[in-house]
Amino acid sequence: MKISLAFAGSLLLFVLPLRASSLTWENLEADLHPAITDKEAVAHFKYKNTGDQPVRITAVKPSCGCTTAAPPNEPVAPGASGEITATFHIGDRIGMQTKTIHVTTDEPGSNTTLTLKADVPKLLEINPTFLYWSKVQPVTPRVILAKVGGDFAVTKLEVSSSDSDVKVETSADPKDKTQFTITVTPKKTNRPLNAMLKIQPDFPKDTPKMFYANVRVDAHPENAPASSPAASPAATPAATP
Amino acid sequence: MRGVLRQAVLLIGLAFLPAIGQALYFRGNPAVLAKPADAHEVTLAEAKGWGQSVLWLDARPHEEFDSGHVPGALSLNEDDWNGLLPAVLATWKPAGKVVVYCSRKSCNASHGVAERLRNEAGLKNVYVLPGGWEEWEENAHR
Repeated sequence: MKISLAFAGSLLLFVLPLRASSLTWENLEADLHPAITDKEAVAHFKYKNTGDQPVRITAVKPSCGCTTAAPPNEPVAPGASGEITATFHIGDRIGMQTKTIHVTTDEPGSNTTLTLKADVPKLLEINPTFLYWSKVQPVTPRVILAKVGGDFAVTKLEVSSSDSDVKVETSADPKDKTQFTITVTPKKTNRPLNAMLKIQPDFPKDTPKMFYANVRVDAHPENAPASSPAASPAATPAATP
Repeated sequence: MRGVLRQAVLLIGLAFLPAIGQALYFRGNPAVLAKPADAHEVTLAEAKGWGQSVLWLDARPHEEFDSGHVPGALSLNEDDWNGLLPAVLATWKPAGKVVVYCSRKSCNASHGVAERLRNEAGLKNVYVLPGGWEEWEENAHR
């Protein structure tokens, strides 16, 4: 069979994308275990150009604004090595975080996805972080549980409210030393209030960490002045969050 | 002429190979081809249909929020969760719906924020707009 130029060209187009990328990565995934006081976690993804042509890394795109990474300025020469450094800014994130970084080079079909996994330690697990009393609910005390994570040596919690009309009491669970109970009771319910509870464990001693919970009370109808919209029978029935 | 025809058939056959391979690999697993069914995701049309009862939350970083956001949206991201959450909870309406968005389909910040609102704050009716700000902008004038 006589092979035409068009056929040969088409075949080449079909086979070209299957060509292996020249950049060989030492690791496509990085498992990071930042300390409790760390503000960021840094991952290193090393590569080597195993081809015979220079390769330019044209784009490095993290999946999240919380991760920064940049391509090298110069092309990677044959036989040369380098690395992509990705910095994950922890912020107020907790638990396992998985972020991806898409790397594109000037070789056709050579996209690579790097994965950064950071296990941000949970010093305290607060549940729930929001207490809400609606207009129609009786103002009874509610409880927030604070569970100490891992083997952290938390022995005491200091809890304060930004509003003096919200009473808070903290007690350690006598059976479970890793658990604390925070009982929250709004004292007055005839005015709407939004309060923030600051929860501070006694660990780590040098760099204390603060945790938060939020309290919201919609004015209670029976306590509200007669002219208040909250006393109106048309007041919206509220759901518990 | 016959030669050209034969070559064309050969090329078409080659082009079909990956499709045949995929069909064999995922045989008996049609779910892989379907749109993932996430009960917490909403379309833009659905969210817009809820009107004023929606509290829009922008899960993107501050600078992206500042350069443009859904009208009335509040910023809530995990960079500054503790600082931003009180304003959200003070605005939240128990009978309303919350729709969280981030940049585009490939971002997952909106899912992270929505999950924390459900699991930690105990809010119900929290949804994610998968197309994010990109989809909102594309449809802004429609």
